[in-house]
Amino acid sequence: MLSSIRVVLTLAQKDLSLFFADRRGAALAFVVPILLASAFGMIFAKPPEESKAIQLPLLIVVEDRGDFTNIVAESVLKSPRVQGERVTREEAIRRIADRRPGIAVIFPCGFEQLKTNKLNQPGQRPNVEVLHHPLCANEAQWAEGILAECVLQRLASEHLTPLIGSSALTMPFEIRTRESTGPQEGFNSYSHSFSGMTLQYLLFWGMESGLLLLRDRQRSVWLRLRAAPVSLWNVLLGKAVATTLLAFLQVLVTFGFGYCVFGVTVSGSMAGFLGLAVAVSLLSAATGLMVAALGGTEMRARSVCILVILGVSLLGGLWLPSFVLPSWARDLSLALPTTWAMRGFDAATWQGRDFLTVLPSLAVVFGFTVVFLGLAFTQLLTSEARRRRGYT
Amino acid sequence: MKPGLALQLENITVKYRQNVAVQQLSMSVERGEIVAILGPNGSGKSTTLSVAAGILEPAEGIVHAGGIAQKSNPRGFAKLVGFVPQEAALYEDLSAEANLHFFGKLYGLGGYDLRCRVALALDRVKLTDRGQDRVSTFSGGMKQRVNLAVALLHDPPLLLLDEPTASLDPKSRELLFADLHRLREAGHAILLTTHHLDEAETSCDRLVMLNKGSVVAQGRPAELIRHRAGGKAVLYGHLQEPLPQFFVKGLRKRLGREVEIEVTGRRLRIAAESQELLGMALATILSDGIILETFRTPPGRLETLMRHAEQERPIAEVV
Repeated sequence: MLSSIRVVLTLAQKDLSLFFADRRGAALAFVVPILLASAFGMIFAKPPEESKAIQLPLLIVVEDRGDFTNIVAESVLKSPRVQGERVTREEAIRRIADRRPGIAVIFPCGFEQLKTNKLNQPGQRPNVEVLHHPLCANEAQWAEGILAECVLQRLASEHLTPLIGSSALTMPFEIRTRESTGPQEGFNSYSHSFSGMTLQYLLFWGMESGLLLLRDRQRSVWLRLRAAPVSLWNVLLGKAVATTLLAFLQVLVTFGFGYCVFGVTVSGSMAGFLGLAVAVSLLSAATGLMVAALGGTEMRARSVCILVILGVSLLGGLWLPSFVLPSWARDLSLALPTTWAMRGFDAATWQGRDFLTVLPSLAVVFGFTVVFLGLAFTQLLTSEARRRRGYT
Repeated sequence: MKPGLALQLENITVKYRQNVAVQQLSMSVERGEIVAILGPNGSGKSTTLSVAAGILEPAEGIVHAGGIAQKSNPRGFAKLVGFVPQEAALYEDLSAEANLHFFGKLYGLGGYDLRCRVALALDRVKLTDRGQDRVSTFSGGMKQRVNLAVALLHDPPLLLLDEPTASLDPKSRELLFADLHRLREAGHAILLTTHHLDEAETSCDRLVMLNKGSVVAQGRPAELIRHRAGGKAVLYGHLQEPLPQFFVKGLRKRLGREVEIEVTGRRLRIAAESQELLGMALATILSDGIILETFRTPPGRLETLMRHAEQERPIAEVV
């Protein structure tokens, strides 16, 4: 038993030496996820001045000459939520095609009729056209909301002035918007990006480690290993230990940088965070062994892995919060370890949750790891036994 | 297993799926002798060596090393064997010393003993001053020497080498065989594969000739040669640069069927039906601008034997 542990540690030490033998390569392996996480964090961070009023770039086309229409159009243009510009329909169509900007609201002829329509009465309603670039569907909904607010405000003013004697109606309530992040109130957009990018990079590191094993199995050094008094179990465990240690170091370095530079903190359970760090590092090793077990050739394995990793990163909410995904994708993502790892990291970092809240995520990630390791070991041991008997 | 035998293969049969690679092969290697397995490509040389190293499991037969059966005690067996694969089986990004330390630890060595053995191994292969350098910076010959040093680190009584000279220049080849002869004197048993008849004839104590997975002849080179029949003019050369495949094909086409040309890395072998044809072939090659660093025409007697073996004519077993 002791000699087996010594052999496993020797094999792991060899892999670590090989990793650090290329010092620049090793440094890049730590720098790249930090750069990615910083870039994503920066993109999604809201500077204080912008967080007060984000303005929607909007084109306004007024084809009706009525006063009411003009007043509504002006109120849309003056809305603090809009950065508007009056243009002709032709110009709006041309500029939307170039996404400069992506939305236009068109008040067509006949819109003025709305002023005289009785509220809440059936009958023909005037149309307002909202044109948008195919990639600006969300902004179009935003424009509809602003338009509805301005039109209803103006209509209410027209219809209620005779009753209440005031020409200017304002919103009868104040809206106070603020972020809610749980008891610790420690949200930092970098927390999410550092968790996401670290996880994604761990998967890539797992892939790389698996490809290395795949490559080693084709080289004569594998023959020497197989001729040595070392079991295949030991060789695979050595690989898993080295991959896990490097992945764990990756987590510590990336989050350490996030803490020092961007104030990413573990506001919740430190034990939960460290447990997750170990779990995702093991998951990285298990992914690597799966790649080596099922990959076939290196080229085939690499292509499939990239597809899978990018897919699980997107669905798992590693790039963007998963609420932007359609509901079927959100449901599907529950079957992925990355989703649970991300939930766990979010809970342990900016959400400030306790260990019990992190525990389900921890359990699911460990569960996936055990299943992956089981599959990989079974497949690799079987294929190597077949190879020894001359079947492959 | 007889005393004094370092390796014994008994009735070994190896199958790759349905194809029989080695059939009912029996052979042995004694302590203090160098045995070469000879044979054309696909004859089962490397397969036999892989079985002897415990890398391949035979469908039938028993492998013993130093009285230990591979199947019943694979770890004990592995410790008695030093295996040298054809290509340098080393981690190129690690230093020679780090490679030796790593493989030494796998064989249960450690501490002061391992440090001493590593220093001794590097000294033995004349690489003490390059021990800290990465293997990737070494020449082919140096890599092959480290490859050998790794296999010798745990001082195994049996050494197995798969085509050890395939990628070596003549000087490195001589150095390697000098090393092997020293090891033989120290009592090591050495089994190697080669398809270079010249080195088998001049440097090995015993030869085992394989064809299509079966032993067609085995014995001491001189005794085997006594049974030869017929002759073929042969020239062995060492090229300054490896030749591209298309060029070799073109050369074969031009020289016709009477001349055989074989190029393995930088090694060249020309065989012809007569000395005149051989001379013409050599002249053609040299006139094409191909530079031969060295060449020699050995007696060519083993060549004849091999030809018989390949044609499956019966050759009496000598030993």
